Amino acid sequence: MLIMTNLEKTFRTDLVETHALRDFNLEVKEGDFVSVTGPSGSGKTTFLNIAGLLESYTGGTYMLDDYNVATLNDKQRSRLRNEKIGFIFQSFNLIPDLNLFDNVDVPLRYRGLGSAERKKRITESLEKVGLGNRMKHLPSQLSGGQQQRVAIARALAGEPRFLLADEPTGNLDSQMAKSVMTLLKEINLQGTTIIMVTHDPELAMQTSRNVFVKDGKICDAADVHTMPLASNQ
Amino acid sequence: MSRWELGPILRAMTRNKVGAILIALQIAVTMTIIVNAAYIIVERHTMMQRDSGLDEQNSFYLTTTGFGADFEPKRVITEDLDLIRRTPGVVDAIQINAIPISGGGWSMSLTTETGDDADDVNTANYMTDEHGSNALDFNIIAGSDFVASDVRWRERNQTDWPDKALVTKALAESLFPESPWQESVGKTVYIAEDEPVIITGIIDKLQAPWIGWSNLEHAMITPEYLVSESTRYFIRTEPGQRDRLMAELESTLADKYPNRIIRDVTTLTDTRERSYRQHSAMITILTTVMFLLTLVTAVGIVGLTSFNVNRRKKQIGTRRALGATQGAIIRYFMLENLLISAGGLLLGVVLTIALNMALIEWFSITALDWFYIPIGVVVLWVVGQLAVLGPALRASRVPPAIATRTV
Ligand SMILES: Nc1ncnc2c1ncn2[C@@H]1O[C@H](COP(=O)(O)OP(=O)(O)OP(=O)(O)O)[C@@H](O)[C@H]1O
Ligand SMILES: [Mg+2]
Repeated sequence: MLIMTNLEKTFRTDLVETHALRDFNLEVKEGDFVSVTGPSGSGKTTFLNIAGLLESYTGGTYMLDDYNVATLNDKQRSRLRNEKIGFIFQSFNLIPDLNLFDNVDVPLRYRGLGSAERKKRITESLEKVGLGNRMKHLPSQLSGGQQQRVAIARALAGEPRFLLADEPTGNLDSQMAKSVMTLLKEINLQGTTIIMVTHDPELAMQTSRNVFVKDGKICDAADVHTMPLASNQ
Repeated sequence: MSRWELGPILRAMTRNKVGAILIALQIAVTMTIIVNAAYIIVERHTMMQRDSGLDEQNSFYLTTTGFGADFEPKRVITEDLDLIRRTPGVVDAIQINAIPISGGGWSMSLTTETGDDADDVNTANYMTDEHGSNALDFNIIAGSDFVASDVRWRERNQTDWPDKALVTKALAESLFPESPWQESVGKTVYIAEDEPVIITGIIDKLQAPWIGWSNLEHAMITPEYLVSESTRYFIRTEPGQRDRLMAELESTLADKYPNRIIRDVTTLTDTRERSYRQHSAMITILTTVMFLLTLVTAVGIVGLTSFNVNRRKKQIGTRRALGATQGAIIRYFMLENLLISAGGLLLGVVLTIALNMALIEWFSITALDWFYIPIGVVVLWVVGQLAVLGPALRASRVPPAIATRTV
């Protein structure tokens, strides 16, 4: 469903050019659970942003399903993000002024769903992550692990085919990280394709496939068990 | 409707009340002041548009004061008027005791019965001859104008009155409210409770000297010349001749009789300007206040929205990541402002009416016309939306990648 060919991304500032990605080739199939590892600054977030249509690229091609991403305008990209892609962020990115219900509601409103349908989806997805009884709480009233669960519920409510997570456990202790990982595995088993950036080899080991990025390139799809641990912090 | 995010915006706003409340209050106060100010401006403007009845563009007056033991007022006045009336470009000229809308003049009270318990009606009193209608540009709409033989000389210490008078239609209506104004012709009114004067003609329009007076439309003319060293001539000219004649007549009169001083050669347009200066100053001040207040409110809205956009950068990026189009982001901020404005304007309507009621109480102005309120609401709503537009556009350009790039 995702094919990147010779993808390039160069950041240009007045002083320097940074080749965040170069000659980046990757194919992800429906139902995959891909972990992305690599040293800091190697281009993992850049890759994920491009995959999630948050950022443009400067060369190569990227096909998402049958769309050539380069040909899409901002509005079409927004719609694809809304309908096909779910995001989970390292720092959760919940909207602090909205309660859990309204937070999960955000992407559903952009899709223009009716209120009954939205309510059903919100309730179901919050129940799925074990927070069905806290819908009126504000994010600040939850622990980090709980906040990340809300973020996952928000991503799931839209029933995306494609879930992108940038260090979803980066701000969590190992106990909470474990439970989030369990949740992601369940979601993957139900058919959602997942790409997850992580620094944690333990977690990477639990995915179906690991991609190691270095200097903006994929080093041969590494065997998780022999993956260098240099980046493990 | 789900795309409009009305509920979430409102609920999010209750978590950040202070800024929203301050702006709403500012909008409420602005509305209160600009609507009342606009009403006062229009009221003053209407007041300034009132017709004096004179041919103001083509009229002026001057004062001449003779001196010396051999000064003969009657002869000089007669000769002066004769000379001025014969001057090419002059429509007509009169001697008159006071100038309409100038701020200074004579008033008296009239009764329709004798005795001191009769109700009296106040009026301005002008004294002039049968050229009055032509010089002051009024028409006799009932009865008849003075003729030369009606006019007498009022000596320095003379206190009695001529037996004829012209009155304005407005004065006739106030004197005899029960009968049609035309029927006032031939009726007798009393000056100083017992001195009878017969109304011989009705004037369509002539204002009193005092523009702030509630009886501004009440004027009476008695047919007489004043015997005095100091006298005032009112001159009406043909269109475009006024300024030339002002200079010309000043020197002609001085040449003809050197033992006098000619002062205060003044146009009616200047007189109007001076009399209404307070009102035009008020209009200028209120307009400035309205403009500044609206500007300050707009700047406040720009400031609050910019602050919110900066504070919510990450949130905006996240919303974009979750599928918000640029339009949805703009809509969010516009709608947020619309809701804040709605609150402010609702309060504004109440305060506007309250202030108007207070002004009625304190300064006895009249009640605001209802339509000022919806106009004020719409204007401030539009100002709010325009003020938000810039920051909202900036918000829509926050890159979605902010969502992953900031911690
Ligand atoms: N907006 C930007 N402008 C310029 N350079 C950028 C920008 N964003 C990222 N980079 C550069 O691109 C390179 C790749 O960054 P990226 O964030 O993808 O790394 P990463 O692998 O996610 O690192 P980390 O593990 O620390 O999150 C880095 O050298 C970074 O400095
Ligand atoms: Mg990163």
